[in-house]
Amino acid sequence: MTTRPSDSRWLDGLNLVLLVLAGVIVMTPTAWMVLSSFKPSYEVTAYPPTLVFQPTLENYATLNSQTPFLRYTMNSLIVTVGSTLFGLLLGAPAAFVASWTRITWPAVVTLMARMAPGTLFLLPWYVMFRQVDMIGSYTALILTHAVITLPVVIWVLLPYFDNIPRSIYEAAQVDGCSPFRIFRRIALPLVSSGLAVSAILAFVFSWNFFLFALVLSNSQTKTLIAASFNFIGEGSTNWGGLMAAATIIALPPLILAAVVQRWLISGLTLGAVKG
Amino acid sequence: MASITMRNLVKKYGGVTVIPDLNLRIEDEEFIVLVGPSGCGKSTLLRVLAGLEAIDGGELLIGDTRVNDVPAARRDIAMVFQDYALYPHMTVRQNMSFALEMRGMTPAETAPRVEDAARLLDIHPYLDRRPKALSGGQRQRVAMGRAIVRDPKVFLFDEPLSNLDAKLRGQVRAEIKTLSRKLKTTMVFVTHDQVEAMTMADRIVVMKSGQIQQVGTPEEVYDNPVNVFVASFIGAPSMNFLPARIEGDRLALADGGETLPLALMAEAAPAAGEVLLGIRPEHFQIVPEGQGLSAVIDLVEPLGSDTLIHCALAGQRVIARVSPDIRPVAGQRISLTSIAGKAHLFDPDSQTRIGQTEGQAT
Ligand SMILES: Nc1ncnc2c1ncn2[C@@H]1O[C@H](COP(=O)(O)OP(=O)(O)O)[C@@H](O)[C@H]1O
Ligand SMILES: [Mg+2]
Repeated sequence: MTTRPSDSRWLDGLNLVLLVLAGVIVMTPTAWMVLSSFKPSYEVTAYPPTLVFQPTLENYATLNSQTPFLRYTMNSLIVTVGSTLFGLLLGAPAAFVASWTRITWPAVVTLMARMAPGTLFLLPWYVMFRQVDMIGSYTALILTHAVITLPVVIWVLLPYFDNIPRSIYEAAQVDGCSPFRIFRRIALPLVSSGLAVSAILAFVFSWNFFLFALVLSNSQTKTLIAASFNFIGEGSTNWGGLMAAATIIALPPLILAAVVQRWLISGLTLGAVKG
Repeated sequence: MASITMRNLVKKYGGVTVIPDLNLRIEDEEFIVLVGPSGCGKSTLLRVLAGLEAIDGGELLIGDTRVNDVPAARRDIAMVFQDYALYPHMTVRQNMSFALEMRGMTPAETAPRVEDAARLLDIHPYLDRRPKALSGGQRQRVAMGRAIVRDPKVFLFDEPLSNLDAKLRGQVRAEIKTLSRKLKTTMVFVTHDQVEAMTMADRIVVMKSGQIQQVGTPEEVYDNPVNVFVASFIGAPSMNFLPARIEGDRLALADGGETLPLALMAEAAPAAGEVLLGIRPEHFQIVPEGQGLSAVIDLVEPLGSDTLIHCALAGQRVIARVSPDIRPVAGQRISLTSIAGKAHLFDPDSQTRIGQTEGQAT
């Protein structure tokens, strides 16, 4: 690079342009959404879209008065936090064992379950929960969302566990540790940054997971994202309300994504093990 | 404190037999060094002793207890790993007390033991640091400290000095030796470095391809190597080998027809036949013309305390260690012979030493 400074400057410039372009493409719909949520209802659908307008909280007020918005938010939090914890509780030991034994096929199976289109097992899933009379329960929703969180946790953590030098596990064995203690006292603390990353990703994916919540919840347990679907009514759609709801829905993942960045970088401190 | 007994021990990895059939008894409080070239199965054997690898055949006893099926966690063995394997998220103090804690000791019980071990190893100043903040030598000490606090039945070391620089290595070598005298615990030390083996061991076990070649004190292994492999592995520079033939009471070199009296040999020679003559560099001596094997100096390596000369002798290259007072120069023609009783004869076919007394070979 240093030998051809002019070339490298040119490449740096191109890099920047591409990054900005990508940023614009990714951010435009988001910006549109956020801006629209603050527009008075008659301007939301105006074309071409207005960029200068009198911001109003009208849409947010409507949202709050016409729907049990807080309740949906609580539902979403319960299901998302529940399924994230559930995913961590099962996924962390699973990833540890897969890394330890180098048997990864069960982890692949969980990934396949994740990659298959959800509609595929929507029906059997529904019938199953119906049989046990659990439709509309938080338990059903949390278990269902674990289909999302479990593979995320396993696949994020697997390389973190793989990164721990084997001799450290062996030293612990010689020191008198049972496998469970090695997991809890040695492996888990060493992948703490991976735990944070996987928890946040699982949270985001579960939060945004839509399909099953729509089918398996009832009016009492409906999640935020499933509820927002109600704004798309027959005939008329409340675009302003929808944008306000979408903005609020997008907020937690956005905040978490910002946090993830920091962890992703500090997650690389594992390299210090070998020193 | 315990002896270790291996009977017909077999270890395989998949279809590959790494240790075909091994018999060895390590006495209580003995310092044993396993030495051999890289890949000969030293680490494997150590890991078998530790319980980190399962045994595919035979028997392993620690003390009088058969431990074939006892997991590592319950063997009461301490091991110092080549990369030290310290717990990165724990302080030095926590690293050292961890094993005690796993055995159900309270902090009040572990603290004095950690203090004692830290004092013994001089690692007091960094008890509250993480391994990351330590130098290689310091980490090595902590790894030993972690082993010592446990007061285990047996210590295992897997090339613990290989990551240290030469100066530190010499120092730590002496320290481990001193430590072993103090602790009076059975120690099994693995190395590929014959100097480490010679300087530290009560007994050396020389291995090749998963098989024991010879077991003996450093002196025995050096003075009476059972075969060409042991003879060339122990000692640096390596022993010189020259093909020769026995003719009456003299030994004629295969190339050039020069002869040496058989009386110089360490053991009785057979009546006739082809042999391999083995002479260590330090056992050559320069004699007046006509009284030894004539050689031409190729290269002179002064080491200070003595000088290595590389020569062409009867079509072979040999190395001799001579006094620096001789001031040899390259190109010089000299006459070399062996110090009486120090030359060995080997069977060129079986590679074993000729005329060795029974029971030395293993
Ligand atoms: N986990 C393993 N799987 C398969 N082969 C192995 C394994 N560990 C060691 N080996 C083989 O066993 C032989 C002995 O290895 P090792 O005991 O590490 O040798 P050393 O410590 O003497 O250098 C080598 O040929 C090595 O390739
Ligand atoms: Mg090794």
